Amino acid sequence: MATFQEFIQQNEDRDGVRFSWNVWPSSRLEATRMVVPVASLFTPLKERPDLPPIQYEPVLCSRATCRAVLNPLCQVDYRAKLWACNFCYQRNQRGPQMPLNFLYVVDTCMEDDDLQALKESLQMSLSLLPPTALVGLITFGRMVQVHELGCEGISKSYVFRGTKDLSAKQLQEMLGLTKPAAAQAGRGPQQPQVPPSNRFLQPVQKIDMNLTDLLGELQRDPWPVTQGKRPLRSLGVALSIAVGLLECTFSNTGARIMAFIGGPATQGPGMVVGDELKTPIRSWHDIEKDNAKFMKKATKHYEALANRAAANGHIIDIYACALDQTGLLEMKCCTNHTGGYMVMADSFNTSLFKQTFQRVFTKDVQGSFKMALAGTLEIKTSREIKISGAIGPCVSLNAKGPCVSENEIGTGGTSQWKICGLDPNTTLAFYFEVVNQHNAPIPQGGRGAIQYVTQYQHSSGQRRIRVTTIARNWADAQTQIQSIAASFDQEAAAILMARLAVYRAETEEGPDVLRWLDRQLIRLCQKFGDYHKDDPNSFRFSETFSLYPQFMFHLRRSPFLQVFNNSPDESTYYRHQFMRQDLTQSLIMVQPILYAYSFNGPPEPVLLDSSSILPDRILLMDTFFQIVIYHGETVSQWRKAGYQDMPEYENFRHLLQAPVDDAQELLHTRFPMPRYIDTEHGGSQARFLLSKVNPSQTHNNMYAWGQESGAPILTDDVSLQVFMDHLKKLAVSSAA
Amino acid sequence: MSDRFVKPGNQEHGWNDPPQFSYGSQKDSGGPKRNILNKRVHAPQFTGSGAEMPSPSVAMPTPPRGMNPPPMDSITPPSVCPKTPSDGKMETEPSFEDVQEPLYGALNACRHTVKKQICDDVERRLKLFEDMWKSGKLSHLVKHRMHRLSQDLKRKNWDAADEIHRGLMVDHVAEVSQWMVGVKRLIAEARSLNPEQNICTDPGS
Repeated sequence: MATFQEFIQQNEDRDGVRFSWNVWPSSRLEATRMVVPVASLFTPLKERPDLPPIQYEPVLCSRATCRAVLNPLCQVDYRAKLWACNFCYQRNQRGPQMPLNFLYVVDTCMEDDDLQALKESLQMSLSLLPPTALVGLITFGRMVQVHELGCEGISKSYVFRGTKDLSAKQLQEMLGLTKPAAAQAGRGPQQPQVPPSNRFLQPVQKIDMNLTDLLGELQRDPWPVTQGKRPLRSLGVALSIAVGLLECTFSNTGARIMAFIGGPATQGPGMVVGDELKTPIRSWHDIEKDNAKFMKKATKHYEALANRAAANGHIIDIYACALDQTGLLEMKCCTNHTGGYMVMADSFNTSLFKQTFQRVFTKDVQGSFKMALAGTLEIKTSREIKISGAIGPCVSLNAKGPCVSENEIGTGGTSQWKICGLDPNTTLAFYFEVVNQHNAPIPQGGRGAIQYVTQYQHSSGQRRIRVTTIARNWADAQTQIQSIAASFDQEAAAILMARLAVYRAETEEGPDVLRWLDRQLIRLCQKFGDYHKDDPNSFRFSETFSLYPQFMFHLRRSPFLQVFNNSPDESTYYRHQFMRQDLTQSLIMVQPILYAYSFNGPPEPVLLDSSSILPDRILLMDTFFQIVIYHGETVSQWRKAGYQDMPEYENFRHLLQAPVDDAQELLHTRFPMPRYIDTEHGGSQARFLLSKVNPSQTHNNMYAWGQESGAPILTDDVSLQVFMDHLKKLAVSSAA
Repeated sequence: MSDRFVKPGNQEHGWNDPPQFSYGSQKDSGGPKRNILNKRVHAPQFTGSGAEMPSPSVAMPTPPRGMNPPPMDSITPPSVCPKTPSDGKMETEPSFEDVQEPLYGALNACRHTVKKQICDDVERRLKLFEDMWKSGKLSHLVKHRMHRLSQDLKRKNWDAADEIHRGLMVDHVAEVSQWMVGVKRLIAEARSLNPEQNICTDPGS
């Protein structure tokens, strides 16, 4: 088992791939009996600083009389993107430089403090953008304004009504844009045309001073908001214009629309709530009772925009900062289909927003942005396997072929997908189908193979291809079930099944998903556990499988599948993050990490259980979305008494500081920034810890989650022990 | 270093707002992130030992009367990661003239080749910077970092100057946003007048 763990880790480090099974059952029938499908998590841009980019087309010296090829004898300046020809000493640009495009869509209906903080963040971002990037600005409130940049001394803008949607063609006419000439169909290597900038999107280095002033002068939306009303926010039209503007001028080059929203859309297509404050925005209850008036139409509007953007390789980010919901549920296609970021905060005047936004522009060790644009991913498989589909931030390219299975999972029916925005953490789930017939012979020493080909626009402007090819052994499940079982990666399997469950939850009814999840778990126990029939106490799971039921227990209670404790926007936000993070972060979301700090020894991981909460301990819990530092009762009393300030009790000061320092390590790199909660025994914020731990002790149940109606097979408010007991009973039962 | 610090989050506007790291303390160390807190404990259910859950300790402890103080003797093991020492010393404040000289030097060098409108715009912002400095509207940290920036500008260390400008925009945007873009442009124009003499080779990576 130790060797397989190492193998799994090595493969993840090298290839960015984690499979649910690392030895594959060789027939289709047996594969379906494995319960968990053969599936992989794949991080296309996993950071490999040791992996140099290979020029896939020869890069030639630009001097017409030279045309030597870039080679190891050339001096290269990675920062300035130049190389010096060693034959003629000409300085050349590296690769075709497609500019990055950033289009800011800014809500002006917010408090002055908030708007000021947002303006400053946008001004700051101009310093973080590369000088050659193109940037544009659209502001909106009741009306939508498209700002013309670079006009010397005068600010000009085109104003649109927020109530009427515009097609791309209408927009093109109104803004006086001409579509650039279609790329010439040439022979040999295609040099992509660099589209010229236009009046609305200009290079940062040219207009940064003007744009800084323009941003500085932005005012709150001037239309008065009467008592009891919401401001009229035309977000639907603003986004539509943004998508159309880029469609007309920069189709098929990487671009990022960044929408900054201070509240819900209340006017025009895509409105999610009316302007009367007394009518609240839809809750899950409203949605269940089919009482969400605007939801269907608004969702359709944003879905259409998302698909247009994705077709052009453009990303839509949403930065929603408001105390109430903003309509993330209706807008989720915008981020989820394009790979854009969804950030949810209380106000633009918070470090959560400011730092998260800064981290969008994080650079790697070579000084390039970590973000990549306009990506496509193709999968090729050896003939015994077909592709069922993908779950993650992508859209289908409808590429049919021999690799494509008819049984679709997620975004299926294709072997190619578009991922318009991706970074080194973006991780997709792919599901495969074994199609070998039962009893068909396996070639001796035969291996199944899968190749992932990712093409994308690197932030330097260069197009790159990254290829990952993996192979795994086949095994006959009838005779070699042990070797298949030993290859099980319970962490990957848990997340792959979880993504399936969340995908279903978004399209089907809630209780059905839990029932389905429970059924799969029971079947897995029946297949791979050791037991005597009808004797629950005899049930044993090897270490390869023993964490899996725990993961399922926590998954069932998680905000990804339990929606009623959260608003629709919150559920949408949590699911959005879950469906794109890598394995380690996803596991943290499902089953938070808990570490204990005390005088009794070094910091150690402890069970996510109420029995871990002790008076003389500090607990650090990481749920991915929150970092909670909880001080036990005695520690809290010491802290209140001020012992940490006394020199004789310096070790107590160190104890208090230790979890804070470790939390900072987590806060340093996480995207998005989590919330940070410092609490203690009896504190109201302690609920974040108490609601996550397994309620194994009865007197702690007063903090456990409330009862659910419509009970699935295993009830929701049980402890892990009761859950496991139930599970063992059902697994060993000959009646099942 | 006066550019590595952590401030608390905005508790008024942000519920449980996380602390804010300075630009300098957020530099990526490169490669995949190390996850130091990444271990889990198996629940003793299925691993064949047949052990039940550990018997719960005294669960709801009664608050101790006459609370005992924390132990003095035990050595508390340090946290997993080393702490960066905080900077406490306050250096003497730089003079404005020292900072101003390289900035105007660079601006005058640009006047021959760069459009008048741009030079005027940059100068307007430098004047604004001066006003804010002299009326005490700029913090110590900003003044010190601008001093370092101007020294880098004088020595033609374009990358270093650029990096300081970015750090200032991230950490002190409220103080600097109105004029810093002028300094940014100045660095860019001065750099293009003096293209880099050497092309540095990047070994391996």
